[in-house]
Amino acid sequence: MGQQPFETIMEAHHAEIYRYLRRVTSRAAEADDLSQETFLRAYRAYRALPSDANVRAWLFTIATNLARNHFRAEGRRSRAHAAVSFFRSALDDGTGPEGETLFNEARARVEAVVERLPLRQRLAFILRKIHDLDYEVIARSLDCSAETARAHVFQALRKVRQNLGEPPQMEIQR
Amino acid sequence: MNRTRVCSDIEPEIVASATGDADPTTDERVQRHIGRCAPCADEYQRYRAVEGVVDVIRRAPAPVAAAGRARKRLEASLHDLRHRIMTYRIFPSPLGQILIAQSEQGVSLVEYLGSRTDVRHSRLAQARGVEAVEDGADVEVLYRELMEYLEGKRTRLEWPLDLRLVRSDFHRHVLSATAEIPYGAVTSYAGLACQVGRPTAARAVAQALRWNPLPIVIPCHRVIGTSGALTGYAGDKIGLKQQLLTTEGIRTQKTAVPRHSMYISIPNETFYCLPSCSWIPSAEHPHRFIFFGTRERAEASGRAACGDCRPDLHPLTN
Repeated sequence: MGQQPFETIMEAHHAEIYRYLRRVTSRAAEADDLSQETFLRAYRAYRALPSDANVRAWLFTIATNLARNHFRAEGRRSRAHAAVSFFRSALDDGTGPEGETLFNEARARVEAVVERLPLRQRLAFILRKIHDLDYEVIARSLDCSAETARAHVFQALRKVRQNLGEPPQMEIQR
Repeated sequence: MNRTRVCSDIEPEIVASATGDADPTTDERVQRHIGRCAPCADEYQRYRAVEGVVDVIRRAPAPVAAAGRARKRLEASLHDLRHRIMTYRIFPSPLGQILIAQSEQGVSLVEYLGSRTDVRHSRLAQARGVEAVEDGADVEVLYRELMEYLEGKRTRLEWPLDLRLVRSDFHRHVLSATAEIPYGAVTSYAGLACQVGRPTAARAVAQALRWNPLPIVIPCHRVIGTSGALTGYAGDKIGLKQQLLTTEGIRTQKTAVPRHSMYISIPNETFYCLPSCSWIPSAEHPHRFIFFGTRERAEASGRAACGDCRPDLHPLTN
């Protein structure tokens, strides 16, 4: 098998997977539960994973599947709840960047739009734009083709852009 | 919301290029286009602005404290899961389908499934606090060794064991004594009861062996009735017991072991005798005898030929 110990996998990826799930869920407890379930599932299946597999992509796929199932169940229980996302706090961990920046308003608007995107668009947007995953991986996570995954991201960006209005004065950082 | 009129055929490329998601050829095409199309150039800038905001979001500080708490909780759950998981596989064998399971501690179950091939028929499915996970790689090695044993190419299975599926401390005690019976030898339920310090508990010993989760590995097939009858094995599988004993060089006649034509010793003794040796008729606990099918097996167990009856000079002829 020639696999790394599972502890190494947790060390390398837990923080990022947790962060991802915190971005897509509305409560800290949900991210906590889903990240736990992601890694327990991964542990059960890890031995069967080919040694050359992309572990990070694999973990994102598991996490995304769990999040989708969770939202399906959650949606049945209470659709209203899903609208109250925790996107901002998830990113800041309770401590905002020092001082107000020129971006704050724009950023709040982007986040508000992302929170209200249809689930697949939201997941595709976060996976691609925040976590920089390949479209093939996003496609696997969302059970669709890479082209459809790309289209989800495009639609999400379009909505974000429509809601952003005039571009704020800023330096592009990349 | 005012929408700038953009060239719809190139819009996806503009979005991809402005948000860093396009290949160099697309970037070039977009740059050429916005150089001569003002509305698209404006749109391009708006998407650049979106990308700038997304970049800030991307770089926001990670929720370190919350992630740390989640990680701690995960580690505790993983510890429990690791303890619960038993990986197994079901293999074909000359004794029918055999399930082999192991945990992180060691081999935990060897089970005859007959013609059944589904884990739902296994004790594993009913065991409390156990999560069965099918996995071939590690268990495959055990299977190969087991096959070598059944073919007589190997006389020991030196596996680390997980005795969690043993039902009680008494059963554990009985199985531990059973593990001491040498390859190629048999003893009786009553003898084993003496060995564990409960001379009247032969039936309870038989029950403990009936529930042995590690047959073959813990050789309960080497325990027979005081009369020599094979008595029982894994429920009603006397045929399997017969096969296993034959592999070890022990002849069976119908469903009994002919003890009168076997070499005799007792536990922890350093010699073996012919059945006609002078001390045997007056032995205090004859049910404690251990019977060897061949001299080779008696000697392989570390015993030497008795100096009185000299089984080495007068071997039994069967």
